Amino acid sequence: MDYDVLVIGSGISGMESAIKLGDMGYRVLMVEKEASIGGKMILLSKVFPTLDCASCISTPKMAAAIHHPKVTTMTYSEVETIRRVDGRFQAEIVKHPRFVDEAACTGCQQCETACTVSVPDQFNSDMVARHAAYIPFPQAVPKKAVLERAGTSPCTATCPAGVKAHGYVSLVRSGEYEKAFELVLQSTPLVGTLGRACFAPCESECSRGSLEGAVPIRRIKRFIADRHYQSKHSPGVILKAPKGQRIAIVGSGPAGITAAWHLARKGYPVTIFEAEAIAGGAPALTIPSYRLPSAVVAQDIDNLRQIGVDIRTGVRIDNVQTLSEQGFAAVLMAIGTTASVRLRVPGEDLEHVQSALAFLQAVKTGKRPSLLQMDVVVVGGGNVAIDSARSALRLGANSVRLVSLETRLDMPAFSWEIDEAVREGVELSNGWGIQSISEDGVELVRCTATLDAEGRFNPQYDPAVTQHVGGDRVIVAAGMKPDSESWQSEVMVKPNGRIMVDADTLKTSIPYVFATGDAVTGPSTIAEAAGAGVKAAAQIDEWLRKAPSRLSGEAKPPKVQRDAVLARQTHYAERLPVKADKALVFKPRDFAEIEPGLTEQEARYSSGRCLDCGVCSECQECIAACPADAIHLDRTDEHLATMVDSVILATGFKLFPADLKPQYGYGRYKNVITGMQMDRLLAPTRPYHTVLRPGDGKVPENIAYIMCTGSRDKTVGNPLCSKICCMYSNKQNQLIMGALPLADVSVYDIDMRTTGKGYEEFYLQTAEMGTNFVKGRVAEIVEKDDGNLIVRYEDIEHEGQIQESEHDLVVLAVGVQPNHDVERFFGPNLLGLDDYDYVNETDETMSPGKTNIPGVYVAGTAAGAKDIPESILHAGAAVAQAVAYIEGRRLHI
Amino acid sequence: MMPGRRDVREVIREEPLRRREIQTMLADGAKTIREISAQLGYPSEEILFWIMGMRKYGYVAEVPEVTEDGYYRYRNADREAF
Repeated sequence: MDYDVLVIGSGISGMESAIKLGDMGYRVLMVEKEASIGGKMILLSKVFPTLDCASCISTPKMAAAIHHPKVTTMTYSEVETIRRVDGRFQAEIVKHPRFVDEAACTGCQQCETACTVSVPDQFNSDMVARHAAYIPFPQAVPKKAVLERAGTSPCTATCPAGVKAHGYVSLVRSGEYEKAFELVLQSTPLVGTLGRACFAPCESECSRGSLEGAVPIRRIKRFIADRHYQSKHSPGVILKAPKGQRIAIVGSGPAGITAAWHLARKGYPVTIFEAEAIAGGAPALTIPSYRLPSAVVAQDIDNLRQIGVDIRTGVRIDNVQTLSEQGFAAVLMAIGTTASVRLRVPGEDLEHVQSALAFLQAVKTGKRPSLLQMDVVVVGGGNVAIDSARSALRLGANSVRLVSLETRLDMPAFSWEIDEAVREGVELSNGWGIQSISEDGVELVRCTATLDAEGRFNPQYDPAVTQHVGGDRVIVAAGMKPDSESWQSEVMVKPNGRIMVDADTLKTSIPYVFATGDAVTGPSTIAEAAGAGVKAAAQIDEWLRKAPSRLSGEAKPPKVQRDAVLARQTHYAERLPVKADKALVFKPRDFAEIEPGLTEQEARYSSGRCLDCGVCSECQECIAACPADAIHLDRTDEHLATMVDSVILATGFKLFPADLKPQYGYGRYKNVITGMQMDRLLAPTRPYHTVLRPGDGKVPENIAYIMCTGSRDKTVGNPLCSKICCMYSNKQNQLIMGALPLADVSVYDIDMRTTGKGYEEFYLQTAEMGTNFVKGRVAEIVEKDDGNLIVRYEDIEHEGQIQESEHDLVVLAVGVQPNHDVERFFGPNLLGLDDYDYVNETDETMSPGKTNIPGVYVAGTAAGAKDIPESILHAGAAVAQAVAYIEGRRLHI
Repeated sequence: MMPGRRDVREVIREEPLRRREIQTMLADGAKTIREISAQLGYPSEEILFWIMGMRKYGYVAEVPEVTEDGYYRYRNADREAF
């Protein structure tokens, strides 16, 4: 849509401009970057010199602007560029998502109350916490919630299973362990399994890893699983209304189980067919108990039974047609990779040679072979080989030698698993292939390369270099593939046994048969297989309903970058990670779990190390709390362009950052605050219940004001007077004497500038009320042990003597600075600025508000320091200029 | 940056972590910021951030009377921290 005028900024100047233009019949678009209009004025306590309530003046303006029939307001939006097109202006605007449906939100704040992430409240000058879900302030217009999301947290973004890792960490931080468990359940029922056996890519991405070490996200998940299973036996999830279409899933590994979980929760009757006697796939059958006890997997599997999934073990399905005949509307093949890849070397079929999968399954299911005093050779360099080697040690082997083609650095197994295996006594022979297997060991041949020039697996050997390694038992972990031979007559299968599917829909060559997980991709991790299960469930749901599935995955903001996260703080206190303390011993002889769980104290402490990278943790508490179902995390930025005839810049000012005067100690001393912070302490919507000093909550009794902090000060590059500091300090002095009748107030100033109507009288009244005005420039402030502050100043009225006085609270009357945001709208150097970087008024005397760009005007403090009445007056001037420009142009057209 | 020796963002981020600890201590009776600080061993300015955050979201409330040395005391409110 086209507008007559674009007003950028919705402080008092912006609102005044928009309302005036709207009253004259012009169509106005007002764009505000914050989630509420109102600018700085709405945050003030009262206004000088009348001491009228700032909110009482601002809120009618805010209401008038937002409800004006000619004014369209976009909050939480930013103008990106403005360029001239055919004599008009084209503005590119980005509307950031609130993640809240504004029409549905009632402003009840229940989302904010439920939110688990605390951040500084910028609307209270960072003096108190707000939550990531928040309503900006009580008088916000519109009074709608917003979720602060800087992006998707790296831990969550990287999880192959789609687990909201940041979410459950933040819930644990809040002590909501059961809710944390339920949040993981939203992605997969394998909470305990992943808590122990996941390779935790989330931790590799953790921003805290750049400091003292990553948050132990996986072990926190184990903590919530262990805690849940100690006391509860039901997952406690809500199922959708039953649907009629039955679904068969072949295979009960992580992919099949996770798919079954999601489909059953959507109301589908699901039957899992498992060929083995125990459900669970690799976690239940082959991952050794020292890493993943069987009972943990069984508890996870029981989650499915609790929601009605029919798991039939010991039932091998070799013919999909039989399932169709039984009335299943869809079939998912999640058969995993249960067949072993053969070495194809002489001696492979000897009696003392066994595949790793068969060996590990025997061990895990209680049929443990005795390897007492035997020398064992394990062939392979992956995680299965490592599991086999470490299991062999536990079965009493005299020695275990692991032979792999790769160098140690190139072994596919996780490096920490290799390190642990070595610490337990596994010996490595890297860079060797198997030439043959004999009764007394293996013949090795030097492997010179494992990959060819194209990066494909194609090992090369030097037959001149061989070695004999003795061994009583050989365990081969040369790879895994799907056991899909019996399916080949029905669905298309690749030569390597993997089932062929459409990459998007996961459909096989039979329309109602889907396949997913390792059976399609080859061996993967538990989390990756679980993620494949989620995708399969979504595709089956879509196919059966003939409509998009919400399981398909929500649109997510991009992953937040680690540098951006770390830049939010100036410094970090050291918070060392909890040590893993795995119980590693040389030649272990039992299958006891080697990794201890976190205690509650350790879990809370560890979750407290989380940096809240994405700000919102996606813990879903706001969604659960919202009575209007107004929260939607799948929103993204909206980009739009609009044409306007004229532009009014009402972008306001910035406050001087007080830490740039280090001699005053702001940021270092607890009881040194800024004038804006004092205004918040005095406002009805203040951060505390009364005026307190931030160091210890004491009611201050002796307050000092340091004038001209960051203004009239060439040392900080701002020689200008900020015009408002004298009067807002006087205003605050009067309000303090009302709020704290016993408090003494001293003002250290060069001189008092009272240039407006009634200002001088207001100043005199302040003095009469008891404020002690001291003519003196403050050189330094020093903090005492009790938090009081020694103000050292040059006493101008007493021949410049250096004096000291003690106060329990110091307020720095900070000045104003230009807002540089305005410079980027028009491109480099197009908008004229004055010598102090405010927007330049080319003819300030005769045409106030006029800039160097015809049709572009400036209103209020974007052009220089002004008080509120001056800002309103200036906005009127800018409006008049804009209208004259528009009408003049129309006359010429 | 706000007053305080640790970064404000870091202190505030820890508030959910401290709620139960503070509420457990206040179960014995209302206390000032300084008293809570002395008992829990955290700096008083950090306690103030946590108490004011907890007050905002209904976990604690102030006792109306100020002590002789100029401090308010805080007590547990209706909402219970985990």
